[in-house]
Parts: sequence; C-alpha cells; structure tokens
Amino acid sequence: MPADIESINSICEAQIMAISTSVLHRTKEATLSLPIQAALITSLSSLMIWTLYFSTYPPVHNALHTTRHSTLAVACH
Amino acid sequence: MGRYKYVALATVATIVSILLWFDPLPSLATQPAVLLQTQPSLSQVIPDGEPVRIALTAVDLRKYPLSNVRFQLQLTTPAKTPWFTSDFPIVEGTTLLELIADAPSGKLEFAQVMPIRGSYVLKARVTPLVAGAFEPFEQSLQLSVPERFVKYRNAAFLIGILMLAGIVSGWIIGGDQAVREGEVASQPIRLVLSFFTMLAIAVLLFVNISAELNSAHSHGEMQPTPSASEQPSQDLELRLSGDQLTSVGQLATQTVQVINKKTGVPKAGVVVKARSIALEDGKQMFAYQGRTDDQGRLSWKEQFFDGSPHRVIVEAEQSIGPVLRASHEVAVEGIEPPLYIRLISLSYYTGAFVLSLLAGIWMHRRFPRTI
Repeated sequence: MPADIESINSICEAQIMAISTSVLHRTKEATLSLPIQAALITSLSSLMIWTLYFSTYPPVHNALHTTRHSTLAVACH
Repeated sequence: MGRYKYVALATVATIVSILLWFDPLPSLATQPAVLLQTQPSLSQVIPDGEPVRIALTAVDLRKYPLSNVRFQLQLTTPAKTPWFTSDFPIVEGTTLLELIADAPSGKLEFAQVMPIRGSYVLKARVTPLVAGAFEPFEQSLQLSVPERFVKYRNAAFLIGILMLAGIVSGWIIGGDQAVREGEVASQPIRLVLSFFTMLAIAVLLFVNISAELNSAHSHGEMQPTPSASEQPSQDLELRLSGDQLTSVGQLATQTVQVINKKTGVPKAGVVVKARSIALEDGKQMFAYQGRTDDQGRLSWKEQFFDGSPHRVIVEAEQSIGPVLRASHEVAVEGIEPPLYIRLISLSYYTGAFVLSLLAGIWMHRRFPRTI
C-alpha cells in the first residue's frame, strides 16, 4: 500500500511540474512575441515622452520649462 | 453682327468681373475707422517675446484723426485649438486686455506681450468725449501672430530622434528571435531592452538632477515683496488698488487714482504711466500711458498669462516736482493644461515612434540581406 501511495504522489508531482513548465514556456513565448515586445518598447518610449514633456509634477515641469515652451504642440501651463 | 456684339459685351463683362474678383477697387470709406499700427510688424512678432507696441488712430471719413476720442478696447486671444495646442492652452479663447482710454489727439498707444500664436481680435469702440461730435462706432481688428520658428525646429528634432529609435528598434526586434539553449531571450530582444533600460535611466537621471539644480537655484528668489509707494509730493497722492490674487485665464482689474492730498479731491488729466513686470525674469508684459478721468482714475483689466507673480507699477508725472510712484505685487495661480490636450499631443509623438517601429520591422522583413 505505501508503495502505491508513493507512486501516485510521484505521478502528481510530475504532472504539476509538466503543467508549470508548460505555463512558464507559454508565458516566455508570449512575452518574447513580436507584438508584446513592440508594445513594451512603445509603452516605455511613451512614458519617457510623457515624463519629459507632459508631466505636471512640479520638479519635472520646472526642470524642462523652457524646453516645453520651445516645442510644438506641448502645453506647459 | 448684333449677336457678336452681345457676345463681345458678355466677354468684356466676364473679364472685368474676374479682374475685380482678384484685385477689387479700393472701397470708399463709408464711416470713420480705427487704423492699426504695430511695432514690430505682426509678421515679426514672437509669441511670449518682447512686448508689441500697438498704436490705434481713430480717423474720420477723410482719414483725418478724430480728436477728443474715448477708446474702449478688448483684446481676445486666438480660439482654442485642442488638436494643435499652444504652450498656453488655458489662455486660448480668453480676454487678454480690457482698456478704456481717452485720447485727445485720437491716437492711443500701449504695449502688450502676445502669449501665443494665432489670430487675436481687438475690438475697439470709439465714442466722442464731447457729446455729438461724431457718431460712436465699433471696429474689430485682426492681429495674426506667427508661431516661433524654434518650436518647429525642436519638434522636428524630437520627431527625428523618435523615428530613428523606432526604426532601429523595429529592425532589431523584427529579426530572428530564436532563443538559444540557456538564454532567457534572444540576443536582439536583450539588446533592445538593454538600450531602452539605459535610456530610461539616463532620462530619469537627467530629470531628477535638473530638478535638484533648479530647486537649489530658486531658493530665496520668490520672496514676497510688499506694496510700495513713493509719495514725495506735498500736493498729490497716487493710490493703486485692484486684484492682487488672480489666475491664468482671468482678467485682473487694476485701478490707479490721483487725489489732492490737501483737499481730497480727485485730480483729472494727470499723466500716468502703468506697466506690469513678470518677477520671474523681469520682463515687461504690459505698458500704457494715459490720463486720469474726471474721478482721477485710470483703470484697466489685464490677464497675467504665464502663471508667475507680477508687479504692477504706476508712475504719475507732475508739472513741478518729483515723479509719484506706487506698486503692488500680483500673485498668479498657474493652471495645469487639461489632461486630454496633453494626451492628444502625446499621441502625435508616440504615433511617430510607432510608425517608425513598424517601418523598421517591415524593412527588416522586406530587405533581410540587403542591409
């Protein structure tokens, strides 16, 4: 009887490992897919543009006040 | 023959109509008018630059200046343009200046900084100081101010950087992304991610260091200065009153009154010079020289559009004796641009990057071996 229980446990562990490996693999594939990569790069670029040109956080605004007033279609205040 | 005559007549009429369409005859004046002159010329005005000297002359039908004229002026800013915003979106579509001024010679001059590009409207209502001297009339004048060239240059520079980054990124991630044994991501992906991570670090470092430096430099610059008054005259007193707290987009009323110290009677006809100075950079934003009315007053409403504190200074000249001077500070509350306007502009610049990214991916797949 104990031997049967051990074999069932080992089968369950193997299945869990297989499932987790599969999920990890799919996640990695999805993350490294072209659309996700393009979206990540676009988001990062957009966030940097926002921080530099459109953020209303006073230290950032004050640091780039002149630059904002000297760039087309950038609202400062 | 008669038929040809009518054809020739119709042809001549058509040609004359076309010529008049392109080059109409000068229209004869049917009513008095207000003539506008600016210094510098409107095509050379720089938004948020030096003050523009605006001279208005009320003339009669024969183009001679009218005398003893009262001007009621309202200067409004260009209409709102959320799809192509200026740097002062709150100022768009608001009133910049309201001024009532008496002009004995029919000529009025003032100086005003134009905050943004676009078409300003100057509404002038002209009435006689002596009842019945002429019929009051109104006129709207257009003042078109061009955009600053440096804005186009900087925008082109920014778009160029975004396009270059987009094309290079697209080229790299558009290539082979096979993950080798022991690697988390393919080499091109790691390369692009590393580049953008370094760029993000550089941007955040620059922003934070600049913010610290600005903070260090600005300590002690914004000391509030109290109202000041120099009244060395024994006879006259200059009183300056009006809004000392306002916000961008709103008009702030300023009134100066000259009274006789001894009798307390208002003094009419005193020449008063009024100006407002931006305290951040010491730039003169508005200037006007006028005469006090029967109540000894001179009033105007102006908008402090840049959201920084200003000082309003008035000076009265006396025929004998020193110049009287009074001033007070006006605190101006800046208003953040609406979120949707900033998001629209962000979408333009992000759009430039996305299009370049797609172009880079397409180029790598279209010309995989040529580059």
